[in-house]
Amino acid sequence: MENMANKVARIPNLVDWSTGEVRLMSAKCNSCGTYFFPKEHYQHRPGCSREGVEDILLPCKGKLASYTIQYYPCPAPFKTDKKITPYGIGLVEFEDEKIQVTGIITETDLKSLKIGMQMETTTLEMFTNEEKQQVVTWAFRAVK
Amino acid sequence: MRDVYIIGTGIHPWMGFSEKVFADFAAVAVDGALKDANVEWKKIQAIMAGIFIYGGNAGHLSGQYLESIFGETGIPVVNVYNACATGSASLRMAYNSVAAGETDTALAFGSDVSPKGFLTAKSDNAVQDRDVIRWKMGGLPNPIYWALECRKRMEKYGTTEEDLALVKVLMSEYGAKNPHARFKKTYTLEEVLNSAYVCDPLRLYEICPVSTGAAAVIITADKDLISKADKPVKINATTMGSSMYGDPTIRISALSCPSVPEAPMLSESYSASRQAYEKSGFGPEDIDVLELPDNSSWHYLVYLETCGFCKDGEADKMLRDGQTKIGAKLAVNPSGGFSSHGEALSAQALWQVIECANQLRGRCGDRQVENPKVAMAQTYGLMGNSGTTIMSL
Ligand SMILES: [Zn+2]
Repeated sequence: MENMANKVARIPNLVDWSTGEVRLMSAKCNSCGTYFFPKEHYQHRPGCSREGVEDILLPCKGKLASYTIQYYPCPAPFKTDKKITPYGIGLVEFEDEKIQVTGIITETDLKSLKIGMQMETTTLEMFTNEEKQQVVTWAFRAVK
Repeated sequence: MRDVYIIGTGIHPWMGFSEKVFADFAAVAVDGALKDANVEWKKIQAIMAGIFIYGGNAGHLSGQYLESIFGETGIPVVNVYNACATGSASLRMAYNSVAAGETDTALAFGSDVSPKGFLTAKSDNAVQDRDVIRWKMGGLPNPIYWALECRKRMEKYGTTEEDLALVKVLMSEYGAKNPHARFKKTYTLEEVLNSAYVCDPLRLYEICPVSTGAAAVIITADKDLISKADKPVKINATTMGSSMYGDPTIRISALSCPSVPEAPMLSESYSASRQAYEKSGFGPEDIDVLELPDNSSWHYLVYLETCGFCKDGEADKMLRDGQTKIGAKLAVNPSGGFSSHGEALSAQALWQVIECANQLRGRCGDRQVENPKVAMAQTYGLMGNSGTTIMSL
């Protein structure tokens, strides 16, 4: 297990590692069954009563539904002190939740990426803040 | 509802970054539209303005800034924003005002100055504005969204890198013949395939940049003005659509999308186009000229399917077989498309309408489609915005 003690997400309420596994913080509407990510990205079925929306963690594993390789650095306010370009970006599908989520792929062998491969949620260190914490975002990597 | 006609159009040619201000460009386009329509400024009874989002208070009240240049007359001036479909919204409001009889003659315009550098987040509140998350956490510039969809398409339908490059080859051929275009160089298939990847599978020449440009359209139901106009163009329908629940497209600015489709891809554009077919009585088989939003080569292909010009997965074959060329039954983007212009956010939808009107009016010189009767302009804006305008002589 990774050492998460000194890590902080750049924006809160998106990624959780308190259970020991890295998982995305979603919300589910118990009336229309739709999952949201981020939690505030409400996408109710028309006519839904919108009652019973609860926070839920997505599973840590999913499959790669699509990907691209970005060859230029992402402009600000994206920020990293590491050289990550070129980097993979994936759409990872969580089948039971019927949702696909975007995320940077930490895999460096970009030629190995294939639609359908098993992926797991992880964190990507972007930079160190003034409190000497590792500032992270969520990311995906291939299940080895 | 009354019949409404386009009687005047004006464009400030598309270009890169400029130190001049948006109102200067707008004034050029509106001047052009007034001269083309042969009407005095005082005949304009409403202004529907697309806003310039990077222009602060002035840009958000672009209609008032424009009105004061030509002389304030107290008429309704409404400012609107629907992302890259902003021009569709301004034209639709102008159309509805005239068709309903609220006004006889109205102006729709948009003007946009390309920001220096990159388009990026416009606020810093991640709870309120998902755009903050996609930039700070997602590392997701716009073309990545298109690349993710393009990769799915290649997997599903066998679209090739040659197909993507061929779109640029064709667009550059037409753009070279369009005095309004920003990019006038022609490219071979090899040159496009040798250009660098921006986000694999999309290459530098297969995505459009941001540009500066302005466009204005004057419409009327005034019989006297219609009779005096040079080949007035009838608006058969001008509609807007938003997304539908279960649309599987990963939308720009979003971090997620449904994995089980319950609506068509690009459902906002599906909706806008179907509304337009219903209202106009025309269908895809009746359209002679189509201007579609080729923000990337992927868009060119998918929009042929979204708007019903072929079945899903068949657009590549249409392209390869030359069925989208000038001279074929359907001419797609004889203007050279966004590929040759770049996006000028609030102006581009009107510019597409103007290209259609110019084709119908026989004003397009070397890129003129032979004797077109019906033309359609289709837009695409981020976060579920789209508009369709169908016109005829
Ligand atoms: Zn619901």
